[in-house]
Amino acid sequence: MNKKDNENITLEEYENKFSYKKNKSNLNIEFNRVAFIFFVFLVISTIYSIQLLHLGSLKLNNEKKKSMFHKKNYRADIIDRNGNYIAKTISTIDVGIKPKEVIDKKHLLLMLNYIYENRNFSKIEKRLNENKFFYLEKNINPKRYEELMLLGDKSIKSEESLIRLYPQDNLFSHVIGQIDNDNNGISGIEKSFDIELKKIKESLKLTLDTDIQFLIRKELVKFQEIFKSKGSAAILMDVNNGEIFSMVSLPDFNLNKRATIKDVNYINRITKGTYELGSVFKTFTIAAGINEEIIEPDTEFLNSKKFIRCGSRHKIREYDEDMPSDLTVEQILIRSGNVGSVRIIKKIGVEKHKSFLKTIGILDKIDFDIEEVGKPQKINWNEGCKLETISFGHGITTTILQLAKGYSIISNGGYDIKPTIIKKKIDKKHKRVKILKNDVSKKISPILRKIVSTKEGTAKQANVAGYHVGGKTGTAQQSIDKKYSKTKINTFASIFPTENPKYALVVMIESPKLASEYVYKYRNKEGSYTGTPYNTAGWTSVEVAGKIIEKIGPILATKYMEN
Amino acid sequence: MKKISLASILILILVTSLVKNSTKKIEDKIFTINENIRSLKIEFEDEKLEYNYLSSPKKLTQYQSKYFENALLQIDIMKVKKIVVEEDYLKVTDFKEKLQVDE
Repeated sequence: MNKKDNENITLEEYENKFSYKKNKSNLNIEFNRVAFIFFVFLVISTIYSIQLLHLGSLKLNNEKKKSMFHKKNYRADIIDRNGNYIAKTISTIDVGIKPKEVIDKKHLLLMLNYIYENRNFSKIEKRLNENKFFYLEKNINPKRYEELMLLGDKSIKSEESLIRLYPQDNLFSHVIGQIDNDNNGISGIEKSFDIELKKIKESLKLTLDTDIQFLIRKELVKFQEIFKSKGSAAILMDVNNGEIFSMVSLPDFNLNKRATIKDVNYINRITKGTYELGSVFKTFTIAAGINEEIIEPDTEFLNSKKFIRCGSRHKIREYDEDMPSDLTVEQILIRSGNVGSVRIIKKIGVEKHKSFLKTIGILDKIDFDIEEVGKPQKINWNEGCKLETISFGHGITTTILQLAKGYSIISNGGYDIKPTIIKKKIDKKHKRVKILKNDVSKKISPILRKIVSTKEGTAKQANVAGYHVGGKTGTAQQSIDKKYSKTKINTFASIFPTENPKYALVVMIESPKLASEYVYKYRNKEGSYTGTPYNTAGWTSVEVAGKIIEKIGPILATKYMEN
Repeated sequence: MKKISLASILILILVTSLVKNSTKKIEDKIFTINENIRSLKIEFEDEKLEYNYLSSPKKLTQYQSKYFENALLQIDIMKVKKIVVEEDYLKVTDFKEKLQVDE
């Protein structure tokens, strides 16, 4: 600025009223904007979430409505080892009439007459007049249900219900058992697994095979008729793991009929019945001697008499008059010598023999999958001739199930097993426990084979070609009220194939009679024989076992063949 | 910083909602399929029950006696052979090997 003469330049301090500052209120606006958008998104996502949740709960409700699992009377299915139904719960419809809602009784009766042609309508008319709800038909078939619904009468009411069906009728009656009207198991698997069956969704799988069960039952029924026996039973078990393929006891009953059974003869002869089984116990006597290394199969017992004294009053006789006086242990078992067995057990002694029988599970009540299990009689080992009689299977009782277990242990290399009918997943960590010495199986199995394959053996009728059957017969008089009656318990305990045992089959016939017209076809030679010559196991239960093995052998050899 | 965190929260909510919305459709489909499977399963079990009953040993032996009479014959297992495939050729052997040692 040029300075002019005497001009004054006035500088004023200029205050700019506009001053740029960060205004805090702006942030508030922004925050509100963001908060608003946030809120909107929150509302939108909440709506979505509620919808999703709601749909989810809807799904659950639908599931509950439609699923059988949540219904009253639900019970899981029971299947066999191949997935075939043994017991099945199915949905059915019960149809009833509510008389109070009937508009035209005559019209309704006329319509029902068309649908139910052979029904007694006077009863229905009477019930309509009583004015109380009544069931017209339970477990109605779909066609008839549709016909009734098409009538369009609102007095006709339908109810969904569940029923228990047993498609195999009698086949598994003793194993499966029954349920009552309140869906509670009262016997068999239905009782012992009652809680599980009501809780689990998947089916309960058993070790039983329907085809094998059928074939065995068919043979038992046929021979029950031939020998006019009071009852019979058979069990087929896997010697290595105790799985039971088949368990049949006659007489049996139809599970679908839901009858109350009070007749004692309908007992489960495999698990509940305890019997004195006779000479089948001689195998245990010899196995105990071999296990204790007291005897060997070729150990000789010389100068045996036809009878042996026991105490002051008792004589134990041979059943076979032609029994030689010099026999090896092997020959004693093949020929089923009583005197020889007594001599062997005296060498073993009470404590060792008792321990052996306890080890293989013969003496005590067995822990099994069903509750109907018999308790063997308690033995007073110091009483009179107890040890001697036990050597040939008298004075000692056990169940058929425990007998099968004992034979399985003796033939599988001496490993403990737990008989079972429930199929379990293979536990690779599970280790087998060896309870007998190796020698026992290797020494006993060939002897059992000779009982079936040689002329001196008592079980020739079980020598089915190709299966190398081995076993021991037992013919015992039935003990009733501590006295021996004339009726017999004939048993055959077998294992096959003897060179590498896989299966144990025990057949028992209670009170068989001689069959005068039955034709026995010899297995070891040509020809046949008509009529049962002796009421012994060799002519009854052995014959039945032979026929059973003939029928089931091909199934076992193919279906359950090890690769 | 605050803006970034707020923005990321918003984006997360938006993305969650979008994902939930699209998975809802998939869940609907799964639900429908499960319902269909359930009804098919019931039907399958009923059919299986009928099959088990009709193909049960009891029924099959009834059919055998009704339709085949004596035409079904039991074969001796010792006469059955098996074919084993070995590399380039087929080998025929006995199904049950005969013991060499005489019992």
